[in-house]
Amino acid sequence: MLQIKGLKAKIDNKEILKGLNLEIKPGEVHAIMGPNGSGKSTLSNVLSGKKGYVITGDVTYLNENLLDLEIEERAHKGIFLAFQYPLEIPGVNTNIFLKTSLNAIKKAKGEKELDAIEFLKLVKQKASELKFDEKILSRQLNVGFSGGEKKKNEILQMSILNPKLSILDETDSGLDIDALKIVSEGVNALRSKESSFLIITHYQRLLEYIRPDFVHVLINGKIVKSGGSELALELESKGYESLS
Amino acid sequence: MEQLKIDFNKVIESLKLSDESINYRNKNFIQFIENGFPNKRAEDWKFSDLNQIISSNIENLRLQSNFEISKIDETIFIDKFLHNKIVFLNGVISNVDFSHENDTKVLLTRDLNQNENFNEVNPLVSLNNALTANYIRVTVKENYSFNKPLIIYNVTTKDLKSTALNLKTDIVLEKNSSLKVINLFDDNSENNFINIVQNFDIAQDATLKNYKIDHKINSNIKYCYNNINLEKNSVSENFIFSTGSKFIKNEINCNLNDQYSSAFINGILNLTKSQHHEIKTNINHLAENTKSYQLIKSVLNDNAKGIYQGKIYVDSKAQKTNGYQLSKALLLNENTEFDGKPELEIYADDVKCSHGATSGNLDEDAIFYLMSRGLSHQQSKELLINGFLLDAVEKITDEEIKDLIKKMIGITE
Repeated sequence: MLQIKGLKAKIDNKEILKGLNLEIKPGEVHAIMGPNGSGKSTLSNVLSGKKGYVITGDVTYLNENLLDLEIEERAHKGIFLAFQYPLEIPGVNTNIFLKTSLNAIKKAKGEKELDAIEFLKLVKQKASELKFDEKILSRQLNVGFSGGEKKKNEILQMSILNPKLSILDETDSGLDIDALKIVSEGVNALRSKESSFLIITHYQRLLEYIRPDFVHVLINGKIVKSGGSELALELESKGYESLS
Repeated sequence: MEQLKIDFNKVIESLKLSDESINYRNKNFIQFIENGFPNKRAEDWKFSDLNQIISSNIENLRLQSNFEISKIDETIFIDKFLHNKIVFLNGVISNVDFSHENDTKVLLTRDLNQNENFNEVNPLVSLNNALTANYIRVTVKENYSFNKPLIIYNVTTKDLKSTALNLKTDIVLEKNSSLKVINLFDDNSENNFINIVQNFDIAQDATLKNYKIDHKINSNIKYCYNNINLEKNSVSENFIFSTGSKFIKNEINCNLNDQYSSAFINGILNLTKSQHHEIKTNINHLAENTKSYQLIKSVLNDNAKGIYQGKIYVDSKAQKTNGYQLSKALLLNENTEFDGKPELEIYADDVKCSHGATSGNLDEDAIFYLMSRGLSHQQSKELLINGFLLDAVEKITDEEIKDLIKKMIGITE
């Protein structure tokens, strides 16, 4: 599904990613762990198309050169980034945003757009699965949401848009244990043979709930070690120091 | 100017006025001629040189000389809700319809009140006094609330060119009465100067909602002066939707004359190309426990220019004043210009007064967030801009009119 070869990314003349290799196959869950400043968020930004980076290397997604695609085209083709810090968008109603987003993706795929009633039914169902208070959805997007509500909102968007490759950028940060469980259940519910996940995190905690197939350690812009889910536990006890 | 003087004499002759009225108009016209159209040397006009704007946009400005009533194309009327109407068609009152109201409770007068004194010299008000030929005053009787809003249509047709129109309406709300007014422009003409003066007297416990809509793109130059007098415990809510004309300056002078009166002035400037719009407010807190609130949101594109000059004056008698103003501008292009001039002049010591102003571009991170959800750049921009404007639109307390303005902006829900 996704092949990354020799990926380098610079911003303001500072090299953040320094030759990263990674392959994700359909149905796999990969976790990337690493200390602060190792390039984890840069990787998620580059994959979802954020501007401002000078990029070299190859990234192939579903047999296409991902780097040639615009931000919204990546979304249309099934890439979803759950933001570490979801943005507050004043004046934009959450429901309207969700509907606009879903229908933009449906339209790009040549599928029939949902009308207001079909959409509300879908949102209701997904929100209740995530134990997400529907009332929040009539509020302005993320404005005045608690940290947990913002993260749940990201997972709600993910489950509505049903992406092929979901990138979760430190989704666990700022979540209490109950919210963490709900978010993890939301992610686990989306796991299938066709959909893949790239989970970026500092801590092993999230991986207790979402069991990854592979764990990679990102230090100083490169993956320095890869392994199975047991690697996360090893890191938790020994720290990143032992690898750098 | 010479041409205007010749026109003035002809117009006055054709109107067949009383000696007293001719005298009043002459006096006002002389006052205008002595000052001329305001230019940037006048402090209040430093961001909008009207003299220069008129001379570079209108060739051979002439005074309105045709006062014949013609028939209005009724398809232009708002059909979303029932309403009363006053229609100015090319500066002439062509329809007056108050069929939704009890006619013993509404008094209409067409004789110009010539004793008004605006307590300051404003050459454009003088020009208006000198030349207004179609005047109407609406008096709402004590304890009467209008059933339906009043829309004052200001329609021009395409045969009107290079003409100065001077229109005047007065609204009087007696004790404990209420009225919603919409001033709606429908411009189909080019390169005219439209000068509108409105006076609102709001008696004790009365409520006025005053909405001004300049929505249709047009090349006219406009000046709208509103004077609002508020008595004890009365309320005036104003909203300015400013997006249609080449140039428009909306000036509101608001006197909070007695205790517990309050004034709200909110508005939107949404401009493209070389449009140049200004909102200028003077809020005069003249009594204790009075309140004012202003929120102006501007979106500027291409090489548009927006201005908000907001002054809050607090008299030494006006203790416990609560005054607030905020201006936020989105500059979508480096060729746009926004000028803000907040002014607080406070002579009382127990007051709460604040102002704020911000200007900047759209948040790129917010655009990235929206695009990462599949929205195009254009869709993301529109969503953010509408969200930005919505903040001000939400201040409108009348649902029908709020919806009307939302539709005009293109905000869908």
